[in-house]
This record gives sequence, structure tokens and C-alpha cells, in this order.
Amino acid sequence: MATTMQPVTAQRWARQPFYFNTAAHLLRIGRQRASTLNELLEGVRTCPDDSIFQHTFQTLQEHHFIREGFSNDFAHWAFAACNEVGLAERLSSVDVREYTSIKALRERIVAIVDDYLKKNSRAADRAALEPFYFCASDSVLIPLPVVARNLQEFVEGIEKVSIHSIHYHFIEARLRLKLNSNDFSMWLEEELDLGMLADKINRIDIYTSTLQDVRRAILRILQPTAMAA
Amino acid sequence: MSEKNQKRGSAVEREKQTEKHHGTDAAPVSGNGNGSRETPSGAGVEERRKRPRPKISDTPPLPPPPPKLADYTPIVGQPEIDELHFLAQRLRNKSVKMVNSTAVGGGVAEILNRLIPLMNELEVNTKWEVITGGNDFFEVTKGFHNALHGGEYNVTKEVLEIFMMYNEQNRQRMEFTEDLFVIHDPQPAGLIHSKSKTRGKWIWRCHIDLSNPHPDVWGFLRPLVDQYDSAIFSSPSFARQLAIPQYLFYPCIDPLSEKNKDLDESFINKVCEDFGVDRSRPIITQISRFDRLKDPVGVIQAYKMVKKYVDCQLVLAGGGATDDPEGAVVLAEVMEEAGDDPDVIILNLPPWSALEINALQRASTVIIQKSLKEGFGLTVTEGLWKGKPVIGGAVGGIPVQIIHKLTGVLVHSVEGCAYQLRYLLTHPEIAAQLGKNGREHVKENFLMTTNVKRWLLLFQLMLGMARPVKPDRAVVPADLPKAEEEARAK
Repeated sequence: MATTMQPVTAQRWARQPFYFNTAAHLLRIGRQRASTLNELLEGVRTCPDDSIFQHTFQTLQEHHFIREGFSNDFAHWAFAACNEVGLAERLSSVDVREYTSIKALRERIVAIVDDYLKKNSRAADRAALEPFYFCASDSVLIPLPVVARNLQEFVEGIEKVSIHSIHYHFIEARLRLKLNSNDFSMWLEEELDLGMLADKINRIDIYTSTLQDVRRAILRILQPTAMAA
Repeated sequence: MSEKNQKRGSAVEREKQTEKHHGTDAAPVSGNGNGSRETPSGAGVEERRKRPRPKISDTPPLPPPPPKLADYTPIVGQPEIDELHFLAQRLRNKSVKMVNSTAVGGGVAEILNRLIPLMNELEVNTKWEVITGGNDFFEVTKGFHNALHGGEYNVTKEVLEIFMMYNEQNRQRMEFTEDLFVIHDPQPAGLIHSKSKTRGKWIWRCHIDLSNPHPDVWGFLRPLVDQYDSAIFSSPSFARQLAIPQYLFYPCIDPLSEKNKDLDESFINKVCEDFGVDRSRPIITQISRFDRLKDPVGVIQAYKMVKKYVDCQLVLAGGGATDDPEGAVVLAEVMEEAGDDPDVIILNLPPWSALEINALQRASTVIIQKSLKEGFGLTVTEGLWKGKPVIGGAVGGIPVQIIHKLTGVLVHSVEGCAYQLRYLLTHPEIAAQLGKNGREHVKENFLMTTNVKRWLLLFQLMLGMARPVKPDRAVVPADLPKAEEEARAK
């Protein structure tokens, strides 16, 4: 049944086209810095949302090529500058895809550091090797001249756009959507009724893949259906 | 090597050009240190002395023409280049003036030489002007430079008058009709006094480390800096607390420059042969001027610890020993530490040895930058770009580039350096993975094209042509639909 449906699916016009965008980010140096874990905790509690975004979502994009365990700047600092391996492990386990708001993400990081310091009070005021500098991301949306009106054009778009566009639609999107999903999956499901493919795409692991791997995985999922046309 | 690169003057061509010059011998420094030093002596030193001496011109060769944007496509991909064009579209009727204090020599001039043509190719009308001054001015600015890095300096009324007098002269000479002014470093900072007569936005690009400035010098400069609309630093740790917005622009390398472009294997072999480097055995390399802050003696000590277990060679290549008295002293210390080991190859090269440095880096098994104090550390960037495992001292901008055990290895001691060297030399698969990640890190964050993107973005923000979008806001800025239509219509 699926085989006979594929040509129809691939050629079917979407109810609304998919407009590919990308975001460019400029790093702003903030006023806050932390030289101890206590100061980090205070900083995470009070820094602007753009800082939390920079040190979690955005840093993941900047280090997307690492498959071996880079997660976020807080975890990296706890490991490299504070030598607090246990804390670093817990912070590393924060998966940004589980958060649909910066507020919830901030609360989770605060809870982890707070809990760790309650159990390891001597670590709280120990001087770090290097301070943690809170930065923030100024993000500018760039509309791309790439539009998909059916699955085939969508696949071509995925092949054509930069990895920054993939990050924008696939990872950052959940903050805009306030859903545990992404722009690609939402469009495939809502505009082309391809719920199963949408679901498969949403399950791609971003922490063990580079963004190029993510692109390839999306193509692997979609191409059989798209090419059947 | 691409056809385009060959047209611009391939490595082999340059090599031929180099041979035509009747230049100085850029030879491996022998035990007698170019005749000025008699000890240490021994068989190894004698062997070094007998090595062939490759010719390197004693004057800088003409630089090749700057690359075009399309030349970067095979490196960063078409989507990246397309994004630069999209970002530049809105700035096409805008003009930019960049001002610094020197047209040749130094990292800033090197970056501007590449940045300005690329901006103009993107049709963002960008001019570059250089301030002029007498020897007295440049003596003052050199003093300022050292003082801003934490050195001692006697700030007198006369010194401040000289600084402001030349800034004022340049201000009177220049016209300020552009939309954006980018003033590089402290030397021309006083040009800000023209701000009130212009309609443009003013940006101060600080390339130096201001983390520990001389209070009097900074106290003098700060009121000038505060008048700018924004400031840019190379690292968060280099910045000061200022009232104006501060942005982070990492320094960058040009992947198409002579120091970084791909080289023919035959040229790499030739350079190694000329310098007496044996490519059949592991090669450890540190490229840096002969300066104690680069810890070349510590590097030799680490090499000696490794040599007990792994038959390897050490190449220490750099400059600064000819025109800098302190450099000559450090070179002598390095020679002393190297003793008569023929596998320690010490090269005092002229500043225009970019191709040779490139070849040595590419021939290396592991690259070290064991600095004790560092600015950003562009030699680390260069090593990472060549896909080499890099061991760096955890200072300055090096930890930004080397994420420990992911894009390289950070060390804090000679012993740590020796251990990591042994590990990487005996675990080539791990070394290769670090090298691969390191190259990707540079590609993503420290290349010229990324730098161009940052400038385009900043210009748009400064001119109010783009507004930052909150990451968790679904609503796009009011001006997006029109811009979106325009972009997509094209």
C-alpha cells in the first residue's frame, strides 16, 4: 500500500509551502562572569535569556562537528576549569531538545548546580582555573531564497541549505514552536500528512551526530519517498 | 591544488621564485648560531652545520592577488557563500571606512588586506585608510601598546599631547562621510572626536588584550572608547567593563593565504629535505618567535622526555632572533638546551617564510604551542586548520580553540606536554580524530569567511537594518515579510 502511495505523496502539493530560513548569530560579551561555582549559580539565575540560549543551544551549533560529548558551555566549564567531573556529567546530560522554553532550561541548570553544591559545599567557593564569561547571542533571521511546495522540493532544499539553517529549523525551532518537535516535522505532518516520516525525523539524535549527519539522516528518511515520484 | 591557486602562484612557482633570489641562507641554525656562538659543539651540531641551506629571499616577495569570494566555495560550501550575499544585500548602498595605523606588517593589516576586497566584492563600499604620524607618535603608541598589555610606562603630559596632536592632524586630513567607521586599536582612537559631525556609527575594534592594562594609559583611552557606539574584542577575557555594547570577534585565518593554502606534497618534501627534516620519522613542531613566553626551552625538555620512548624529531621554527636582541638571547638558550642532538632542528626564519612554515606544519605529526602567555594564538589556528593534533598551553585564547581532548590537548607543564606527546605519537587514530575535529572547529569559527559574516551582521545591527530575534519568540520582526519577499523573489 505504501509503495502505491509514494508517487502521489512525493508529487502532492503542500497546503502551505515551506520557507527555508537561517539565523546568523553575533556574540555579545556580557557583564557577568563567574570565578567559582557559587558565582556561576548566581549568574545562571540572573543572566538574560539570550545568555542561556548562547551557552546551550547556540554553543551546540558552534561545536556541532564534535560527536564525542560536547554538550553545553556550563558542563564544559565545570569539567575543564573547576575539575568537577560529577557536576560536568550531570550538566552534560541536559538535552536541549527536551526544553521548549529558556525559562525551563534555566531552571534545570540551576537545579543541577544547586543540588550539587548542597552535597559538595566545599566546591562552591573554590577558585576556577579560568573565569566563566557570560555572553549572549544576538540572532538575526535570514530568509533564504529556497521554498518547498512538495516533498521533492523539500528534499532539494535540505540538500542545498547551510547547516546553520538545519540548526535553526531542526533544533532552535522548539523554542519558537513551544513543542517537542521541529519545523521540518511539523510541516511534513501538517502540510503533507506525512506523520510517520515526521516522527522519524524528530527522533534523530543530535548529540551523537554532527549537523551534517543530521542532514544526511533527514535525507535518508525522505529520499526513498521523494524519489519514488 | 586548484587551477585558480596555480594561477595565483603555486607553491612550486614561489619556490622557483625564491631560488632566483640571491637571498640570505635561512638555514637551520647551527651550533654556532650563524657564527656568533661557539658552544655547544659535537657531532650533532656538526651534522646540523653541514645541512644544505635553502635560499629564502632577503626581501619580502610581492604578495599574490587577494582571493575572490568564489575561491572559498570549495572550502566552506556554496550555502555559506550564499548567506554572505544575502547578508550583504541590505548593505549595498552603505559605506564603511576602516582605519588603522599600518598598511603592511602585523596581523591587523594582514586581515584588512583580505577583508576589504571581500567586502567590496559583496558591494559593501569599504575604504581602508591608514593614519600617519612621526616617529614620536609611533614611539608613544608602542609604549601604549606595551602598557596596555600590563607593562610599565610613564604617562606624561607630553606623551598625551603627542598622541592627541597626531590624532587631530589625521582627523583634519580625513573625511568622514561614510555610514560606518571602524577604528582599529588604540592608535587612531582619537578620531572619535569627529563623531558629532558625522551621521554614521562608530565601532572600536580592539585587537589587543586589555585584561590587565596600565591604569594611567587605560584611564586616558577609556573616555575616548566610551564615545564609540560599540566595541569589539578578540576574547571575553580581553574585554573591559564598558558602557557600550561589546562584541566578540575571534581572530581568523585565511585558508587561501600562503601560510594556510593547500600545498603540493612535492613542495612539502622539498622544504623538509632542505631543512634536514626526515619525513619517515615523527615530527613535532612549534612555530613561534624566539620568546620566553612561548617556552621553547620547555618544548625541548618535553621532547627529550619523549625521545627516550619514541624516535622523533623536534622542529622549532620562528623569527625574531635577528632583529630583536632579546630574541637572540632566547635563541642562544634554546641552542644550549638542544645541545648536540641532531634531531632538534632550530630554524630562524624571516617573516616572509609563509610557504615554508605552511610546509613544516603540514609535514608535522604533532604541533605544539606551549605558550606561558598568549594572545589568541593564531599558530594554533593554523595547526588545527591543517588537521594536525595540537598540544597547547592553557593560556590566552588557546583554550577557546583547543577544547581539551576534543579538538586538541591542553597542557600546564613540561611533564604534561611530554606525556601528551607520547600518547598522541603512539595513538595515531586518536591524534587523527583530534586533528579532524580541530579543522572543523576552525572552519566553523575562525576562518575569514566567518569574519566577513560577523562584520555584515554587526553593520546591519548598528544601522538598525536588522533587529535581534528572541530565540523563543515565534513572531518575526515587522520588517521581515518584505525583506523575505525581496530575497525570495531573487
